Amino acid sequence: MHDPEKRVSADVAGLAAAIERMAADLAIGEEPAGFVLALDGDAKPAEPRD
Amino acid sequence: MTDWTIQTLARAMAARKISPVEAVQTCLDRIARLDGRVHAFITVDAEGALATARALEDELAAGQSRGPLHGVPLAYKDLCHVPGLPTSCGTKTREYFTSPTECTAVARLRAAGAVTLGKLNMTELAMGPFGDNAHHGDVQNPWKFGHCSGGSSSGSGAAVAAGFALGTLGSDTGGSIRLPAACCGVVGLKPTYGRVSRAGVMPLSWSMDHLGPLTRTVADAALLLEVVAGYDPHDATSSRRGVPYYQRLLESPIGGLRVGVPENFYFDGITPEMDAAVRAAAEILGGLGALVSPIRVPDPRTLTDIGNVISRSESAVLHARLARDRPHELQPAVRARLEIGFHISAHDYLQALRLRSRLAREFIAEVFAEVDALVVPVIPEPAPALETAKSGSVDDVVARMGRFSRLTRPFNVLGLPALTVPCGFSSDRRPLALQIVGRAFDEATTLRLGHAYQQATAWHHEGPPL
Repeated sequence: MHDPEKRVSADVAGLAAAIERMAADLAIGEEPAGFVLALDGDAKPAEPRD
Repeated sequence: MTDWTIQTLARAMAARKISPVEAVQTCLDRIARLDGRVHAFITVDAEGALATARALEDELAAGQSRGPLHGVPLAYKDLCHVPGLPTSCGTKTREYFTSPTECTAVARLRAAGAVTLGKLNMTELAMGPFGDNAHHGDVQNPWKFGHCSGGSSSGSGAAVAAGFALGTLGSDTGGSIRLPAACCGVVGLKPTYGRVSRAGVMPLSWSMDHLGPLTRTVADAALLLEVVAGYDPHDATSSRRGVPYYQRLLESPIGGLRVGVPENFYFDGITPEMDAAVRAAAEILGGLGALVSPIRVPDPRTLTDIGNVISRSESAVLHARLARDRPHELQPAVRARLEIGFHISAHDYLQALRLRSRLAREFIAEVFAEVDALVVPVIPEPAPALETAKSGSVDDVVARMGRFSRLTRPFNVLGLPALTVPCGFSSDRRPLALQIVGRAFDEATTLRLGHAYQQATAWHHEGPPL
């Protein structure tokens, strides 16, 4: 598959299919900002600097 | 001086055993002698570096010190905006990126006394894991010329390995600090997302870009992280969490720390030498008291798909003008990767961002309930030959890029701290490396483990045969 247009179409279709499959049961309340909350929520309290 | 670390040089400087001018001149001489073959630098600022060094020398003579890096020669990936120096971002355009403010991390290093030697070569637009660059020359692996230095912070890895600079900054969107560190046999740290400001740094994917140090030792990486980390009003994504004294925490014993070695994915298809070296490193950590055990981790391939959707969408938006107006200036594989981003729908992009939240939460809950850190390989094989990496069709090259960076990209999607530490050599003397991955904002534990490993081994004392 060396035709650039075909390659792009195939790559995009592959990614879209993967996203559709994984997102099938995403909760309505799931927001992108949940990522930062996930990081901050797991972190141990920082050791304060002097 | 080529086997010195930042810590040993800073101590020698404080004790007046070497002056800032001598240290900078030694680096400049080595760059002048060897970089014509290595291609680690795009811009060497000899005049500026020496002027700064002379000023720092005067300050020392007057009993003043700016901080822990007083007189230490460093260099920065050529996507960091440093006033007075061009920022090509590895493109054909000499000044591709400008910023209203100096790169915050560079400013903090300078404020701590560091001397800027210049700007380092990189893969075009930070897109590619091999370190090739058609405009500024392929960065050669100092351990084995003709082989990849790793990318995209190729010059950042090679400059440290070659002894051109005591430390460097790189950026990491899919492995671009850790891959060159692994290929070049040096330490590289991708901090937690938000730990280090990206202000004044060319963005590739604002959701997954990270900035971090490359050094000879983990202790030096801790030192540089301590200087550059922390909230920055110029970067809305930078965290307000306090910055620990990483250097002080380095010496805490690692006994009792739980270290997981994944049973799935991370060791699939890697070379036997890499496999053996990383497992041997985990055993050494076990010998030092860490509780090493196998663990199953959530399938990283889903993270990779999500990461591709996010990073390609964002990079296409950010670099649309170059891709649309002057596509002939871009290397074919870079152009091909950018092009995909123009065709991803807003729906899929936003779903990917939402999925990222859920998968990060699930990964953190599952994995860190069982362990404090993971030990995995960084690269599936030692640095490949440049000609092999670049050979074949664009499709072949892009697919090869994906395979080579498959062990680092999941941690950009997850935003977790990940540290490359050298752990040996292949039979033909190409560096091998492990990756230590920790909890969010727990760089201290990844650094402790890496430091303990380096204290028990001697790989970091070896240098390339230049």
